[in-house]
Amino acid sequence: MGLVLFTVSGCSRCAVVGKFLRERGIACEERDALGEGKTAFAEFYRAHRGAIARGREGVEFPVLSDGDSVRQGLGPVLASLQGGARLEAFFRCAEAPRGWVSGIEISAGDARAAADFFAVLEFLKREGLKLEAATDGRNAALLEELFRRDLADRVVMRLHGPPDVHRETLGGKTGIEEIEAAMTWVCRFREYRFETPVVCPSPGTPAPGGPRPLTPEEVAATARWLREATGSHRQPYVLVPCPAAAAEPPSSPAPACLVRHRSAARTFQVLTEIAPFAVR
Amino acid sequence: MTYPSVYPTGVTLYDPARCWNGYTIFQAKEVGALLIDMNGGEVQLWKELHGMPNRVLPGGHLIGSTGERSTAFGSQDGIDLVQVDWDGNVVWRFNRYEFIEDPGEEPQWMARQHHDYQREGNPVGYYAPGLEPLVDRGYTMVLSHKNVRNPLISDKPLLDDTILEVDWGGEVVWEWVCNEHFEELGFREDARNLLFRNPNWLKTGGGVGDWMHINSLSLLGPNRWFDGGDGRFHPDNLIWCARESNITAIVEKKSGRIVWKLGPYYDETPALRKLGWIIGQHHAHMIPRGLPGEGNILVFDNGGWAGYGSPNPGSPMGFRNALRDYSRVLEIDPLTLEIVWQYSPVEAGLAFPVDANRFYSPFISSAQRLPNGNTLITEGSGGRLIEVTADHEIVWEYISPYWGRMLKINMIYRAYRLPYSWVPQLDPPRERPVERIDVTRFRVTGASPPGPRRVVRVPGVLPYRPDAALCVRTDIGDKSL
Repeated sequence: MGLVLFTVSGCSRCAVVGKFLRERGIACEERDALGEGKTAFAEFYRAHRGAIARGREGVEFPVLSDGDSVRQGLGPVLASLQGGARLEAFFRCAEAPRGWVSGIEISAGDARAAADFFAVLEFLKREGLKLEAATDGRNAALLEELFRRDLADRVVMRLHGPPDVHRETLGGKTGIEEIEAAMTWVCRFREYRFETPVVCPSPGTPAPGGPRPLTPEEVAATARWLREATGSHRQPYVLVPCPAAAAEPPSSPAPACLVRHRSAARTFQVLTEIAPFAVR
Repeated sequence: MTYPSVYPTGVTLYDPARCWNGYTIFQAKEVGALLIDMNGGEVQLWKELHGMPNRVLPGGHLIGSTGERSTAFGSQDGIDLVQVDWDGNVVWRFNRYEFIEDPGEEPQWMARQHHDYQREGNPVGYYAPGLEPLVDRGYTMVLSHKNVRNPLISDKPLLDDTILEVDWGGEVVWEWVCNEHFEELGFREDARNLLFRNPNWLKTGGGVGDWMHINSLSLLGPNRWFDGGDGRFHPDNLIWCARESNITAIVEKKSGRIVWKLGPYYDETPALRKLGWIIGQHHAHMIPRGLPGEGNILVFDNGGWAGYGSPNPGSPMGFRNALRDYSRVLEIDPLTLEIVWQYSPVEAGLAFPVDANRFYSPFISSAQRLPNGNTLITEGSGGRLIEVTADHEIVWEYISPYWGRMLKINMIYRAYRLPYSWVPQLDPPRERPVERIDVTRFRVTGASPPGPRRVVRVPGVLPYRPDAALCVRTDIGDKSL
């Protein structure tokens, strides 16, 4: 089976993929999922329901199928077309404001695929899109190259906790030096922020499979690490609340559950704020 | 309103037998936190210690602030909230809410506190039997500011109100942010439209919309409504009022949701229409347990100008479209919204409405219920404090002699009466009655004595009529019309 690309009319991201296909001379059957290809997409959706994500406004297009696998969203589709499976980890399907592409995961992919990775980013930039890239410190050399090529409009660095917790979360293979090098490179981008996902404390509702809750003291230690690594106590540092369990619905967009963590972090990072629940 | 240019200040009236005697603390304009006795004797001044408001704690401690943020960058932002002892030593401080770097100013932490706060142990910050505020431990609930953006409200930056719980270590451990509850406030479409365009725009700091202007914060404390099973009145819940929106609301501490609300409209039910439009109000709080009227809401309904809505002749754009030129102190049953007690121009004995504006403070002001059933009223704009009995007689009156040099007004933001026992450093003062002066006979030095020097009788003149007509009707308050 050949490539099938499901698009919808008026979808600018779909048009970007169409241009990519034409530029590279890639043969692909394009179907309008809400027009002539509606029935075909409905059948396809039923068959691959588990692989197709629905956002706040329904299915995110474009969706690409090669008969075996499904790729969804601008970044993952281009990555698949550019470099196949080798590039997939660099891109995930993520909602982004109009004109932006997010879900670019510098740290998640194989650095040996750097050439194809940057080829995709350069294509997106040529199309006038703004790029938000994320890092956790791994592949710091790619982050440096990203900066030198001026390909990212915003960079977000996730810190999962103080040095030991962060390294443990990354699997323990990445050295502190590389992570701290990434921190300093992040600060050189025109727009950036540091984030720490924090599970809201909720006695009696453990979070199976999720990150373990950080204490306010651990968040403070993370903020201190950030200060020491970057030499600044004024970094844009955001605590991202993660509900501990479905049984605990957020009571307000800025959950009170992290206020103690924010107070602790502000000892070392004075601009620390709490991100709203699920508005990212 | 008519003010003479010369009139006495200090205590002008005092009936010790009918007062709830104690000290009174207030922020004397551009002077400091001033503690006076019932005769107006200034027993202690914490010089230049700011306070919005100042409160005395048991043991002679005082809460205030060491200063305010420059008005070029902030509006009513207190740098910190401090507790000082009788000798002025700082024993507690809160400032770690926001790190502020104003141009040309030293970067610093700021509390951004404004208008109110409450120390654990007492829900409202004034004396009630068995509800003593803690002095050496406990949390403090603080009303603060935060600059935010919320496109649901306006496309302009907003000066938002936040409620903080601060622990004894000075750390924020709980936060409630008003703009996040915009949809719970019940603004009609015309108000939302106006708010979007003009959220009470201030030029300070490059421009912000002071859209709510919350000016009071207290806890409900133990009360009969909660005891009776009404969860909206949980003792930990918080009550606030906002002058620009005419809203008074109770926030559930546990969830942050607004669970009880008065305003922004007063025309939606018969009970609200009977209550009348509350405008620009201050110091809404639940009378604490142990005081007469406990469980009712006491509020200084300023009048003046406030609200968002449709245009009218007094408000061509619909901004501050509710207007009234006199004030009311209302004690309201929170369930029925019936007025249980009030002090308005009528109760003050003023001819209504022609002389109603003699009881009028269009901003600031407060009311404190006292243990003997009296009410201490701060009629703030004129710097006047009065203690009135339940049957509306003034038994104590004080006029602040402190006019500001920068702002030439003798305003008092909010005064509190406290028991002598809260200031153990002093022996209770001697209480000397101050009789009401007969102002029809009183003359200042150099003025002629009262009475005509010569009287001429004119044949055929009629006596004055008790029902003489005025240029305006005096039956505006007659709801039967």
